[in-house]
Amino acid sequence: MSGAETVFRETSAEPRTESVPFSHLSLELGHLYMEDFVEGPSRLRRHFASVRPWVDAARAGVGPLPAGRRPRISTCFLIDDYFSRLSTPAELIPPLLAAAAEAGLTIDYLARESGCASPSPAPGEAAHRDRTELAEAVLHRLVELPPPGSNGFRPPVSRTGWLTNGRRAPAQRTSAALDSTGVVWQPPGETGARGHSVFMDVELWSGPEEERTWSCAFLASVWQLVRLGLLRDNGRAVMTPTDWFDKEFPAEWDALPPVLKLNSAADPFTAYVTCSVLPARFLPVEHAVRVILDQVHVEDEAVRMVAERSAGEGFTVPAGVVDRTSYVFPPGL
Amino acid sequence: MTGLGTTGGPALVCGEVRTCLLPTRDAVDERTAVELLRLRADERVRVSRHPNRHAVSPDVLTGVDCLLPTANGTRVRAVGTVAARAVLVEGRVLQSTAYFRAPAKGPDRRQPWGYYLVRPGTLVPVGRLAEKPVTEGFLTGHRSGELDIGSVAESLLARISRRHRFLDYDTPLTTADTALRWTAAPADDGEAASLRFTKADDGLRIVELRLPRGTAPDVAAGLCEDLALHDWLLSTVNDKLDGLRVGADDGTAALKVLRPLVDHLLHLWMPQARVDRALRTTWAELEEDAGYSRQWHTLAQRVRDQLTLLHLTRRDALATP
Repeated sequence: MSGAETVFRETSAEPRTESVPFSHLSLELGHLYMEDFVEGPSRLRRHFASVRPWVDAARAGVGPLPAGRRPRISTCFLIDDYFSRLSTPAELIPPLLAAAAEAGLTIDYLARESGCASPSPAPGEAAHRDRTELAEAVLHRLVELPPPGSNGFRPPVSRTGWLTNGRRAPAQRTSAALDSTGVVWQPPGETGARGHSVFMDVELWSGPEEERTWSCAFLASVWQLVRLGLLRDNGRAVMTPTDWFDKEFPAEWDALPPVLKLNSAADPFTAYVTCSVLPARFLPVEHAVRVILDQVHVEDEAVRMVAERSAGEGFTVPAGVVDRTSYVFPPGL
Repeated sequence: MTGLGTTGGPALVCGEVRTCLLPTRDAVDERTAVELLRLRADERVRVSRHPNRHAVSPDVLTGVDCLLPTANGTRVRAVGTVAARAVLVEGRVLQSTAYFRAPAKGPDRRQPWGYYLVRPGTLVPVGRLAEKPVTEGFLTGHRSGELDIGSVAESLLARISRRHRFLDYDTPLTTADTALRWTAAPADDGEAASLRFTKADDGLRIVELRLPRGTAPDVAAGLCEDLALHDWLLSTVNDKLDGLRVGADDGTAALKVLRPLVDHLLHLWMPQARVDRALRTTWAELEEDAGYSRQWHTLAQRVRDQLTLLHLTRRDALATP
């Protein structure tokens, strides 16, 4: 409110937030385990053939857009190089791209799952010094949903490394003497359940704190936030795509930037909303992702930028972060 | 961010500021201040160097779903997040503020949690707010089970005070912490910002503000941090000088009291260092009524006079064989 009359400013007192470009939709063309890749090209061809009609449906579903506006849609694919590395980029990526092309699909952006766990290097910068680990940063942005009765004195009960969508069952006493007195079991409860609970307790990481292994669900949540353009590291954009047009792929995963832009004509990587076409076996993981996303407090300025930009071009973006994600679980995938 | 009393903005902003001496021998430098207040690795600590050194942490949120305190027993349930931030002034005085804004009405039932997280620092009433009973109830204090905002401020203070790597816990003087509980409601159009300041016992201060429409909640919080800081400084120095024994011995006892005041507190007086211009009438009122600055300058002068006298007395004592 003092904006017009301010004569003195200090940049260190007014943090800046970098803006990112936005597509309307970020469309994920599937996710596979390393084991699936080992099965060979026919497995990949089958995957993309099954995905194709649903991709067309997702494209057709963008909008409504103001008359004359072309939908901006970018496609992406996340490779799991975090939990196992059975093969090298040079061996794995070309057949993947070929199989997609055979089904008439283009992978605009290729990302590494490790990129969601590690510090995000600035474009053209090799060293990761002073950069924050993305997963770690998101962990500190979790604000647990309060069951009714949470008044600030008793914050929601947290169990380190786990996150729920409600209230856990009270710890059980297992002593036989107590059991005989008829200690009544109390169920856990989902906060805001419609009638009956579907209670979920999500493991975010395992192992000692210094060398955590992040869970698949947690990294997938980071991946969603990255695609939605809602993460920053001290104001700077993260996982910015690196151009990789007609270039050879290296023999080491770590030699690859976290996000590659493979198609020079692609629309922006980050988007107002996301859609992921995934095998149904990922349904529990994605349920967990939704439980996590519902409890992440993203930077106000990043939220505001999306709201302003989308309103400016007449595109409706749901207010809640989790409502900006959608899924297709096609049969036969 | 929408301001107080605007369409779609909050009808009420409430908070509590805790003020204490940072538990270290010496004031910390700017680098340490930034490390201390770095509550999240991916978000900057805001640092300002003029007119004094002032570092502000990012906001951290605490989720709540409970009844708000009300004076007349009206049941007002609110859901959302309380924002808390820590401030370090000249690397010496630590403050933590927990605050929230509340719109006049909200949905009739609790919404999915994501709805509240895109409204950080907002408690959305389930139904209507009842501003007046909530204001009175909040300032009076909560009952069991009702919103306990002091705990949120206290736990942030504790979180920072536990950072052993930066703190030696060897404070140069003992001081009493204060809690300043405040509410801000929109002033009528054309009416200047005003306040009602009550100094209660046990370090509790109560401030009822009326601020121009459109005032941002964090600007209101900044004003209250400024009031709390200066009230704490004045109370601390005043307490130290209360019953000061001058001339009882060779002055050693007096020097023990006076020296830490000069070393650590006297240079911190800087009212309205970052207070928004539109809100400065509140300080003017406080000066007129309670004369905070007049009292401060008198006390500071007394400290300096006493030190000069001590110096002269000791020199004379040394000079006389």
